[in-house]
Amino acid sequence: MTEAVFRADPPDARRCVVLADGVTVVYHRPSGLTHILAPPAPEVLAAMSEGDADTGTLIARLERDHDLSGTDDLRGTLTARLVELETAGLVWRP
Amino acid sequence: MTEESKNENGKDVKVPNRRQALMLGAAAASTVVTVRPALAQTAGSILTCEIPVPDPGNAGNYIAPDGTVVAPGTPGAVPPPGRNLAGEEVKQALRNGGSLPGYGYEQSQAYTNYIRRLQAGQSGFTCYASIQMPRG
Repeated sequence: MTEAVFRADPPDARRCVVLADGVTVVYHRPSGLTHILAPPAPEVLAAMSEGDADTGTLIARLERDHDLSGTDDLRGTLTARLVELETAGLVWRP
Repeated sequence: MTEESKNENGKDVKVPNRRQALMLGAAAASTVVTVRPALAQTAGSILTCEIPVPDPGNAGNYIAPDGTVVAPGTPGAVPPPGRNLAGEEVKQALRNGGSLPGYGYEQSQAYTNYIRRLQAGQSGFTCYASIQMPRG
């Protein structure tokens, strides 16, 4: 079974503002839509900026910069996060 | 303290000294909320948009009871309203079946039938489309 590959716009397509309470407001220039992201969505989106990735690749990128040991089902939860970003139009399957 | 590790390509990459804990969260939790300004704009534009009856290219022509544009003086047809109809008053008339403010029953029926026949590209169509759109 091949894993789904996701793609995101380059970082300059977004204007991100981190608010004091930990949420990130993202203005997505191509769509003109504004999104409010809670962790770990901004981190996942940032990791997607390095290029197309399936969940395995993305986990490797995230583990490089973050301690993911608190999550049991990494693939399952990361896929759920990616689907949320996909619904919002911030990532898609090329 | 510095650490080194191999990434998925076997290359050495620098690892931050203290990696911040990142919880990917429960599968059921939602972490993305999208603000949809397009809907807010639609709700606002209904109040201000206008529909010319008939369209400017047919100015002066009469409107038949079924909404078609006919020559001035055609029996059974009504003269044009003489002003653009506001989106909000058209919305009320379409929803309630009532008359447009300032116009009688026959005139209102002819004008609303004309509006119902509007198609993409005609003047007023975008306004008519926004009237029909449910407010989110």
